[in-house]
Amino acid sequence: MIDVYRALFVGQIQAASQYRVQSILWMLFAVIRPVIFLAAWVAVAGAQGGRVGSYDVRDFAAYYVALSLVANLATSWNSYEFEFEIRMGRLSPKLLRPLHPIHYAVVENIVWKMTTIIPMLVVLGFIAATFDARFRSTPAHLALFVPSVVLGAALAFLAGWVVATTAFWTTRVHAVATLWDRAAFIFAGQIAPLALLPGPLQTIALVLPFGYMLGVPAEILQGAVDVPTAILLIAVQAVWVGIFYALLQVVWRVGVRQYTGVGA
Amino acid sequence: MTDAVVEVRDLRKTFRVTERQEGLAATLRSFVRRQRRDINAVAGITFGIEAGEVVGFLGPNGAGKTTTLKMLSGLLYPTGGEARVLGFVPWRRENAYLQQMTLLMGNRTQLVWDIPAADSFRVLQEIYRVPEDSFRKTVGELTELLELQELVHKPVRNLSLGERMKVEFAAGLIQSPRVAFLDEPTIGLDISMQVRIRRFVAEYNRRTGATILLTSHYMDDVVALCKRVIVIHHGQLLYDGPLADLAERMAPFKVIVATLHDGAAADLSVYGTVVARDEGRITLKVDRQIAPERAARLVNDLGDRLTDISVEDPPIEEVIDRVFSGERVGTAP
Repeated sequence: MIDVYRALFVGQIQAASQYRVQSILWMLFAVIRPVIFLAAWVAVAGAQGGRVGSYDVRDFAAYYVALSLVANLATSWNSYEFEFEIRMGRLSPKLLRPLHPIHYAVVENIVWKMTTIIPMLVVLGFIAATFDARFRSTPAHLALFVPSVVLGAALAFLAGWVVATTAFWTTRVHAVATLWDRAAFIFAGQIAPLALLPGPLQTIALVLPFGYMLGVPAEILQGAVDVPTAILLIAVQAVWVGIFYALLQVVWRVGVRQYTGVGA
Repeated sequence: MTDAVVEVRDLRKTFRVTERQEGLAATLRSFVRRQRRDINAVAGITFGIEAGEVVGFLGPNGAGKTTTLKMLSGLLYPTGGEARVLGFVPWRRENAYLQQMTLLMGNRTQLVWDIPAADSFRVLQEIYRVPEDSFRKTVGELTELLELQELVHKPVRNLSLGERMKVEFAAGLIQSPRVAFLDEPTIGLDISMQVRIRRFVAEYNRRTGATILLTSHYMDDVVALCKRVIVIHHGQLLYDGPLADLAERMAPFKVIVATLHDGAAADLSVYGTVVARDEGRITLKVDRQIAPERAARLVNDLGDRLTDISVEDPPIEEVIDRVFSGERVGTAP
């Protein structure tokens, strides 16, 4: 399997190198939204004497810098890709090879993240300096951030595939994927840090999986939660990964029987 | 079932499709209540293919050819019936099966567009776990047979359709499959490229002994490659037997072509039905049983006026057209 991955990586890096400019533009596009929210919260905090709940301006800056980094590392676009592959018949050759199609997507995701991480860090460094971001994280937080962001990425990826698999039934998965993304927008910590959501929304966010994809790793990196809480949140992340892994096995097995090979 | 490489028994596939009339009202109604209809793409077909055979799978558009190939390759689950290929149930898609099989579709690409084919070959080598020495040997042979030297190092998107098709063939055969399903392998290609692909398929079959089931709308492909044909129409099997016998069973007539010095004026309608007249060259359709006797009479009656005469089966396209027009012929003995 290592040899397969090595070969897939080489191929994907060659393909990605053809679209360097596009990758950078996508990366910048991904940063714009958090920066807009950061600017909005800075304005709100300014109007309220410098604070909103437990967050001051420098905390907001640290949170949105951390969130942007996590979003870059943990977001996947597979549901949209998958719909395209099904509609255009591109999935068929992949289904007929002795390798599960998910592995191509894993490699695509990792390569995209690798090619954008350096310029991303430069941009985020600039934003952190501009807004004087304050990270409260200790070395323990940084150590916990690694498994947390990996689990967040795994969760977002697996959940994305579960959503994508609905394309076996509907062929068009765009609407479902968009609905999913909108829910993530509210509950993953993009509008506001989870700690600042109004009471009922916060409870819902803690029960739903979205926050464990982005908000939780961002809060751990920022140092917004203490170490025992961080460990607990990581355990919940692991449970969600397990649930979506099992769910994917089931929907894939049922869904692939529905595959009609349209356009192929 | 026998020990054939491909065994198919009563294979069926029904697609459920949504239908609606044109117009806004019908569109709005379809939001609330959808009209669904079942289409029997494959309606119970049975056949077997022995190792090393090259079989032509014929039928008009929508006959169920591609659906059958997709089921046999493992892409689609059937609605009913059984199939085994190399002893495997295809739609279980076991790795051991996928490693020995290929499905090549003439109008579809499986290569990565942005990188040269040589790099895609390497990825496929790892996916199919082809040992390095076999990989080099296979790629060497394919490069030679398909004349790929110049092509494999260019990004796939820079190749012409014909060039890409050749490279696709190579990519589909990296694992040296024992069974190959070819769906319209020469579609859209110019004549010389069609001839090359045909030669390649024949040579590949000769060298490797691979079993090949191919569909094509170009009868030249079938005539050049397949001793045996299976004809399906509306998802049902119409004929399974030697290509040579198809004409005999399906077309109850022969074609006599007589060339005369003064053909333009000659009236040969007493010998058979005149179907074409090209200056001195007259084509007659004659009942199969009496064709030799009519030809002999022509030679006898016309004497020196005749410069050439031939008795042939009708063109295979014409035979196939008769089959598709709905006449059931059954299986050859």
